[in-house]
Amino acid sequence: MKKLVLGLLAFAMVFAMVSPIVAQAKKPLKIAFVYIGPPGDMGWTYEQERGRLAIQKAFGNKIETKYIENVPEGPDAERVIRQYATAGFDMIFTTSFGYMDPTVAVAKDFPNVIFEHCSGYKTADNMATYFGRIEEARYLTGIIAGRMTKSNVIGYVAAFPIPEVVRGINGFTLGVRSVNPKAQVKVVWTNTWYDPVKEREAAVALLDSGADIIAQHQDTTEPQKAAQERGKYSIGYDSDMGKFVGDSVLASATWNWETYLTKTIQDALDGKWKTHAYWGGLKDNVVQLSSISSKVPASVQSEVEAAKKKILGGWSIFTGPIKDQNGKVVYAAGQVIPDDKQSAMDWFVEGVVGKVQ
Amino acid sequence: MKMVFEKRKNVSIGAQFLVPIISFLISLLLSGIMLAVFGSNPFTTFAAMFKGAFGSMNGFSETLVKAIPLMLTGLGVALAFKLKFWNIGAEGQLTMGGVATAWVALFWGNGIQGPLLLVVALLAGCVSGALWAGIPAFLKTRLKVDETLVTLMLNYVAILFSEYLYYGPWRDPKGYGFPGSAPFPENAWLPRIAGRAHAGLFFAIALALILWIVLRRTRWGFEISIIGASPKAARYQGISVERTIMLTMLVSGALSGLAGACEVTGISHRLQQGLSLGYGNTAIIIAWMSQLNPLAVPFVSLIMAGIMVGGDQVQLMMGLPSAVGTVIQGLILFPMLAGSLFTEYRVRWIKADRKPVCVEGGA
Amino acid sequence: MKENSSQPLVTMKGICKSFPGVVANDCVDLELYGGEVLALLGENGAGKSTLMNILCGLYRPDSGEIEIRGQRVHIASPNDAQKLGIGMVHQNFKLVDSMTVLENIILGMKDQGFIPDMKKIRKKVLELSETYSLKVDADASIWQLSVGEQQRVEILKLLYRKAEILILDEPTAVLTPQESEELSKIIHRMRSEGKSAIFITHKMEEVMTFSDQVMVLRKGKVVAELPTAATSPKELARLMVGREVLFEIEKKPFSPGPAILELEKVCAQDDRGLAALKNINLNVRAGEIVGIAGVAGNGQRELAEVITGLRKVTSGSVKIGGKDLTNAKPLQVIKAGVAHVPQDRSQVGAVGDMSVASNLVMKEYRKKPLSTGALLFPSRISAFAKRLIEAFRISTPSTETRVKFLSGGNVQKTILAREITACRNLLIAVYPSRGLDVGATEAVRRQLVSQRDQGLGVLFVSEDIDELEQLADTIAVMFEGSIMAVLPGGSADVETLGLLMAGVQPSNSCDRSNS
Repeated sequence: MKKLVLGLLAFAMVFAMVSPIVAQAKKPLKIAFVYIGPPGDMGWTYEQERGRLAIQKAFGNKIETKYIENVPEGPDAERVIRQYATAGFDMIFTTSFGYMDPTVAVAKDFPNVIFEHCSGYKTADNMATYFGRIEEARYLTGIIAGRMTKSNVIGYVAAFPIPEVVRGINGFTLGVRSVNPKAQVKVVWTNTWYDPVKEREAAVALLDSGADIIAQHQDTTEPQKAAQERGKYSIGYDSDMGKFVGDSVLASATWNWETYLTKTIQDALDGKWKTHAYWGGLKDNVVQLSSISSKVPASVQSEVEAAKKKILGGWSIFTGPIKDQNGKVVYAAGQVIPDDKQSAMDWFVEGVVGKVQ
Repeated sequence: MKMVFEKRKNVSIGAQFLVPIISFLISLLLSGIMLAVFGSNPFTTFAAMFKGAFGSMNGFSETLVKAIPLMLTGLGVALAFKLKFWNIGAEGQLTMGGVATAWVALFWGNGIQGPLLLVVALLAGCVSGALWAGIPAFLKTRLKVDETLVTLMLNYVAILFSEYLYYGPWRDPKGYGFPGSAPFPENAWLPRIAGRAHAGLFFAIALALILWIVLRRTRWGFEISIIGASPKAARYQGISVERTIMLTMLVSGALSGLAGACEVTGISHRLQQGLSLGYGNTAIIIAWMSQLNPLAVPFVSLIMAGIMVGGDQVQLMMGLPSAVGTVIQGLILFPMLAGSLFTEYRVRWIKADRKPVCVEGGA
Repeated sequence: MKENSSQPLVTMKGICKSFPGVVANDCVDLELYGGEVLALLGENGAGKSTLMNILCGLYRPDSGEIEIRGQRVHIASPNDAQKLGIGMVHQNFKLVDSMTVLENIILGMKDQGFIPDMKKIRKKVLELSETYSLKVDADASIWQLSVGEQQRVEILKLLYRKAEILILDEPTAVLTPQESEELSKIIHRMRSEGKSAIFITHKMEEVMTFSDQVMVLRKGKVVAELPTAATSPKELARLMVGREVLFEIEKKPFSPGPAILELEKVCAQDDRGLAALKNINLNVRAGEIVGIAGVAGNGQRELAEVITGLRKVTSGSVKIGGKDLTNAKPLQVIKAGVAHVPQDRSQVGAVGDMSVASNLVMKEYRKKPLSTGALLFPSRISAFAKRLIEAFRISTPSTETRVKFLSGGNVQKTILAREITACRNLLIAVYPSRGLDVGATEAVRRQLVSQRDQGLGVLFVSEDIDELEQLADTIAVMFEGSIMAVLPGGSADVETLGLLMAGVQPSNSCDRSNS
């Protein structure tokens, strides 16, 4: 890990000579974060904010950070990003998929500002993209869910039918089915990242239709709470939601941005920053499996531990045989879904009930 | 002492200018106190707000970006309110305008070449907004259905319909599943004039002028005034009240529809979420603050947009929670709205002897 | 009877009140004794209503004092006035249209509890209406009542609130002679119980029959105060107007031309869907004034609306100038040369929130030179308005003054000016002189006669029998939607007309066919 960083640093140093983006060492590097929700969502934005606070602490007066919350995706986001760029910020992190095109638009007009967009796929000379393979952690939580379900129906409250979310659902379902081939994962789309009310309503609908565990790809803890109130288990996402909700949360697939942010900001400070498309996994520590609830038996915990080792050892969760919803084998045994197919994933694996609309 | 409001017979010129200024100072005082409570220096914050909204070309162009749809919907609402037709559906009319414009821009590009596509798309937006406003007008004039409810409910219908389109059939096949239509071809883009501010500004200003002239100098405008003041009187004067309401609402809806058309062709270049950020609702405040005068609408819209853009600076630069920015916007607006009460009414303090009979040496 | 108390019941001393640009009351003194009926006489805008609004707590005087029973009081609201036993029936009734009579009577009373005991209230209201012969359906909604009935509700409301000092603003304007008689009985009864009344009027006959004392106001000042017995109508009129008033209007001899308006078996419904017009047959000829006599609410308004296209006929036909205009659109009727001075001036006839100039051109704006195509010409409109203001002696600060700031008489003159200018064939005038002072009434009457003398047809609705006798060539009496009788003007006595208006067919019935 360290070697990798050092290697990258060395690599970047060479580029510093020709890089157009040379940061002044004296003045603090001004960094802005654009958030989709409030840091108090205890989920996605909470983790982004934890990342910001961590780097602010680590870099001290070498950097100056600001953030803006509750910025809707769509045309108005461009205004906010543009305002930061205009106000002299050196580096702007836009942390939701829907900020991608606005970020591209502003990046074009401000070639001397560094833009980093989280979870997208478009880059430019001064715009990088970064994300993590959360589905690896989801696969592990899937094993827990698969073992703990009694009704063999697991509910999944999902935001948008985009590859990022589809990958998560598939990774989770593969985990579930690896230990419990009878279990099904029912998906409900909310078409929003952050909407406590809608998220809760979707969870309740899933519980009503027989699900006894709720998983989610949403920004708040509301689906977790809805499950808890019904006396059901849930699987958290974004942050260690068990901390906020209780031990009904069996485990969470979590983000940890600190490592990545530290590296890329150091690059910028050193004038070695260069555009990139970062996509780390469990082994890079950008995604993690949280602590597991005491409700989960030790046997299951060790099963999870074994799978985790396998992944850390380089095994891909998207290794065949993988069947689609019709039961057709789409990737044969031993075959791994290549990254470009993963990043455009628009189909569900066997075991998922629902449609990618 | 007891406070009594008396309606002013004539609004003095002094009151017309003084009241807004005093209201504004009270706004600053109130929001200043709140900022101080949050531990932020009010002066630097206000300076940041002003600078953010008007201080740079970039900031000003963003203020314009917000002001343009506010102007167009504000004109639409003001026109309807002249008739005392309570059109609170500008939001829906704007959305339907955007939808129709997107339809033309997305699917007619093969048949219509060059800038004609933009023209047809904008016209389609106007027509669509007009028809959407025509529904409540029809229900009101034919079936006496209250327009307030209909226009309000149609907002939701329009917004959900547009969502259905960009989540469903119109979703960009290359968009990795993210909701939103494909981008429009470039010949359906409204030219930009500065930053993101687009040519819709010229439409808005020209239409404000035209509407002002129409209301003051044409038979139609005269008839609108009469109907607005007294529909019974209008009928008695031989004016076809139903037809005028219908026609006026079509124009009102077309203005809001044009706002939506300009948003999609000028800003987002696609149909996606965030088409309207409550512009149609803010338009109601704008119409009232302009006292339904079309010439005042552009200025009021600009101020309102400035407050919105500047309000974000509170978060952006001062690091305060977004709610503080919203509260400040409210604190600025509220005294200004309250101020309009004082231009219409004056306050008299009277001695209130709550006992009606007060013995002063009588008996 | 005022000898039995040496102390006045009400004393107003040096009352001054001004509005922007107008001094409404200039140092007015008033004394009212128990058991006295005081007539407050004056032209519109003389300050009568302002003075009474001060007494009943609606306005506060700029200076001056009020004493009730010798004690100095501040009347800050109508509630205070009510507690002092002062109640007022306003010219524009203060009733809530959508509520019932009973609800209106208790509306605003604070001692009724959260859920009023409607049974008890009903009993008391019925008693009162019995005692004072104020017949009214206690459960009807106000909008269903005629203006006359609404006034009765207002009086009942005051009696229910135990008013001792009853202020009546032009009370007889809406009543039949018989009803006026009833009202005078009520007033007499109140007087015999030691209560007092002040009534605002500009009708000499009423002053003479109702009052003990009369006070004449002109331009906010008291010009005379004298016992009724010691004066005459002529003297009062002179005091009021400030010059000699001619009560007679010169008319050309009656020589009718061809029929301009022909109504045949016209039936129509009122707003409630009840029959308002029943088989009306009526003709108006060129050079003729046809007067419609009747108590308000007997179909007069509907009659005017049916002719002008504002109301649909359910059967029958309307011909104007020989052309069938049954159920025509209002604009078609206007284009046929029909002008209409409607009953409701503030809501229909004039638009209070618009300028005098706008109101004056509301019929002519469609034509050249005021407009060409869609475009209006403000300067020509303003010149046109100035011409009319001058010709009809409308007193207004400017052409741009909003009509709601004009006095009642000037609003009516504005309407008349517009309608007469637009009139080519037939003028329909509904209660055109109601609520107007002597000067304005004279002007209105002259205009009607001059239209007739120019060979136009005039359909003239009035409740004032003297006025009808004076102006109409032919009188048709309406009762409950039917025409009771058609009489030549000047041939019927007040008694006969009064009975017909009340629905009683006198034994010596006149010829019912149109002459």
